[in-house]
Formats: sequence, C-alpha cells, structure tokens
Amino acid sequence: MASSIKIRSQRLAQVTEIKVLIKHPMENGRNRDPLTGELIPAHFIQELTLELNGKAVISAELGGSMSKDPFFSFRLKNVRAGDRLVVSWRDNQGFDDHVEHAIEEEV
Amino acid sequence: MQRRTFMQRLIQLAIGTFAMSLPPNRAVAAWPREHFATAEFDRLFARVFGNQEIVDSDELVLQLPEVAENGAVVPLTLSSTLERIDRIYIWVEKNPTPLAAEFAFDQSVALYLTARIKMAESCHVVVIAQQDGRLLRRRQWVKVVQGGCGTG
Repeated sequence: MASSIKIRSQRLAQVTEIKVLIKHPMENGRNRDPLTGELIPAHFIQELTLELNGKAVISAELGGSMSKDPFFSFRLKNVRAGDRLVVSWRDNQGFDDHVEHAIEEEV
Repeated sequence: MQRRTFMQRLIQLAIGTFAMSLPPNRAVAAWPREHFATAEFDRLFARVFGNQEIVDSDELVLQLPEVAENGAVVPLTLSSTLERIDRIYIWVEKNPTPLAAEFAFDQSVALYLTARIKMAESCHVVVIAQQDGRLLRRRQWVKVVQGGCGTG
C-alpha cells in the first residue's frame, strides 16, 4: 500500500523547509454519515513526529480540530545533504505510518 | 501443585505476550487527553496554562485569512525571528475542542510553521509560544462563512 505520508524538502538560505502531507480523515466524532445519519466515530491523528538522523526534532500532539489530510511546513536549521528525516504518525484508533526521506544536495 | 504452577506460568506468559503486543510507541500514552477535551475555551485554557503570565507579542507573526469561506480548511502560518521557542499551541476559541495542536520543537527548529485547521464559527485563533518558560500570545479574528467542525 502506498504510504499515507508525502514529504518534500527544499534548501533555503539559512534553513531547510520540510513539507508534510498526510492522507487521513481527521474525523472529530461530531460528523454524521450523510446516508445513514449515524455519527462517524472519531478518527484522527494524535501524534506526529519528525526525526532527523534518529533524533526527534518535532513532536506534535493533534486533536480533531486539525483539517482532513493534514498539511504542515516546518523549517529546520543545520540540515545537510544525506541527512535522513523520518516522519511518523499514530492515530486514536491505533493505526500508524512512517516514511523516510533523504535530504538531497543543494541544487 | 504442578497444575497450579503450570497455570501460573500460563498466566505470566499471557501477560508477557500481551505486554509485548502493545505498541512500542510511548508517545501515545503521553497524548494529553485533558488538553484536547471538549470544553469551553476559557476553562480549558486555564486548565492547560494555570495562572502563568501570558504576554501579547507582536514578534509572533500570525497569518490567517480575514474571511474563511470554508471552515473545514483554514490555512495558518506562524513565523518569527524569536529564538528558543520550544513549544507552540494553536487554539480555536469557539471550537468544541478548542485546542487544535501543540508542538514541541528542539533547538534545530526555526520558528516557522504552517498548518490547516477547522473552524466551527467566526472567532479568534490564539497561538501561544513558550520561550524559556515564558508564554507569548498572538491572536487573530477570523470570520467563518461556513463552519467546518461538522454538527458540533
């Protein structure tokens, strides 16, 4: 199965910008199924972590007020070509995913 | 006697197997359920920050649309030249669960963040940044045309 996570990195002058897009419904448990009228159970990412070369640099806790298919950008200092970035998430239903991204040479 | 020992072993084994089958991610246990509770903003905000002093800061640059047509996806950008910010909180005053996210940054993260939040109705979006244990605040009013938090 394709990863739920897409990562892009771009070297800027002083920092490296990391963009993370995650495919996830981010249901907060208050929406109703338009066909059945039943409440859709809460299903949202609770934990998001960015690790650079094995060290957590960003850890985020999220709630159901984040939009569907969460999209973030961050800027990291002191990132070098060849550094390995791992982005991982875990949701309230126990599902998780992670993907690794190699920082490329400056272009 | 032997049977009891066997049963005890069996139980120990079962417990051990169960413990091993638990997800190794300790972060989930740390997810602060009480911060993400469904509660009135003022009450929850006070619960999270207690009576710590919070200072309004123009050095936090918060960009949000003045008018959000669709409350389901409201883009937010926070940037600043401030150093040593190690924690960010994003609050939406009128959402049923007012805390949208909290971020912990280490020293290698520059203060720049974009995210997309849901807004149930027009209200302030409040960002709190922690610097050396000091709390800084910046907020902006967003008019929401169509609410995006479902029926809540």
